[in-house]
Amino acid sequence: MTVKDIENKLIKGIASITSKAESSIKADVPFHELGIDSLGFVEILVYVEKTFNLRLIDTDLSKKDFETIHSLASFIGKTL
Amino acid sequence: MRVVIPSFGNKRYLSGFDWVMGVVDYILKRTTCAGNIFQLVFKLDSAVDPETVQSCLCRFIKEFPVLDGRVARDYNLAPYWQVPKKDKGNSLNFNSRRLENSSLHVNAWSLMEEWVNTPFKNENEHSAFHLLNTNGGESYFAMTFDHRLFDARGAESFAHLFQQYLTEDCNSNIGHVRVTASAELSQWADKFYAGKNVNRKIIALSKTSLRSLPVTTHCEAKKGFKFSLIGFDRQKTGEIYENAYEEAGYLMVMPYLLSVAIRAMHELFESRGLSADSYIIPVSVDMRSSQDIKQELFFNYASMFLFQIHVDMLNDKKALINEIKRQMYEQVQSSLPKNLLEASLLLRIAPLSLLRKIFLLPFGGKFASFYFSHIGKCSYQYPEIMGAKINNIFHMPRVPTPPGIGIFFNSFNGHLNAVISWLDGLVSDEEILALENSLRSGL
Repeated sequence: MTVKDIENKLIKGIASITSKAESSIKADVPFHELGIDSLGFVEILVYVEKTFNLRLIDTDLSKKDFETIHSLASFIGKTL
Repeated sequence: MRVVIPSFGNKRYLSGFDWVMGVVDYILKRTTCAGNIFQLVFKLDSAVDPETVQSCLCRFIKEFPVLDGRVARDYNLAPYWQVPKKDKGNSLNFNSRRLENSSLHVNAWSLMEEWVNTPFKNENEHSAFHLLNTNGGESYFAMTFDHRLFDARGAESFAHLFQQYLTEDCNSNIGHVRVTASAELSQWADKFYAGKNVNRKIIALSKTSLRSLPVTTHCEAKKGFKFSLIGFDRQKTGEIYENAYEEAGYLMVMPYLLSVAIRAMHELFESRGLSADSYIIPVSVDMRSSQDIKQELFFNYASMFLFQIHVDMLNDKKALINEIKRQMYEQVQSSLPKNLLEASLLLRIAPLSLLRKIFLLPFGGKFASFYFSHIGKCSYQYPEIMGAKINNIFHMPRVPTPPGIGIFFNSFNGHLNAVISWLDGLVSDEEILALENSLRSGL
């Protein structure tokens, strides 16, 4: 699976979690600018586990790896 | 098959969580001096003319007869909010004061505590507004609300709408506010399934003994709540958020603040020599998206996480943060907040007096160690209100009793606030001072 494929799956999930249109979600915008808080972010991590079978809550959740959809997709791509 | 009976005419059906807020109101009215009330306070950098405020509020409030409603039960037994006709509502409850002497902060704070501890005049009154101009030039504008009608973010949005109404003459925006809801009288299997999951969670939580402060729940204890505000400037707030990202992870601000609050409360409980095994902390969580808040500002859209922290975990901050994150993740994964909303719909059939007794069953009348909430983004978006620049916005909530104490974080314009709210007499002034110091040093 390419990083772009992962990004697209993440955008789909995040659109559902935030009740926003998929087209309004950009892969390079930080999550906090999308109005996502702790709860929303944990919902995204649960979605990642269901979709990619990866449990990320136990990792450090460093800003570098998790700040944007693109960086999260790259992290997932490397881990898969 | 899903059968939707929507609100119509003068009826707005209540959700399960609205009904729970009604139970808390019932309990607080019987054990303290007033009901389930909270206050949104604007600290302003200049004085505001009381007559202007009064006339603006009068016009605005008249647009929302829902503010003067009352609880009733429909023929299908679903409770609803009976909304009066537009010209049949109460008059505006507004008062203004001016403080002349130099000990302004102390006097202003006492007045704000007095306002939030003052019961509404009757069953149809659910809001009051207060203006305090000081000789020093600052002023405080407080909106006091019945929690059955607004949750915290809803109240901020209502205030935002008020300012929008004043500045943009936006009658059209008022029309977007939703005052309807389904009676939710179908899909019973889903509700019972959610109820089963919630029951299991509560039984699991109640297996260990719970630390809480001794609250008097007799009617003669008609006490008010006291409050303490800890404000952080923009620089310190930035540092706190960086610490949260560093220690708990990106966007993990709530788990970080909760860990600091638990450790601070632990010191208080330890100093009292209380010896139970664990803390249980209900943490309110807003179930609306950032889009919903513009339409759904009346009534309650919150649910809860229920955290249980064993005492032996409190010496290791990193382990505590990881445990909070783990429990949060598992509760999202098992849909606990959604199940609580769904299951609470079943409670609406029971009268408030019965629910009061049921609520106190699982934990031997204790229910929780303390309440906690964190509102990350303020829904009030203007830098000023009624022409005065806003220096700060904070919340003063009366806390469900038991436990009678809570720590509530909110932020405005890059400033983080922590408000401690407690039932008068539950903790001493020295203990509150120690709690404040622990929170400051922990952040």
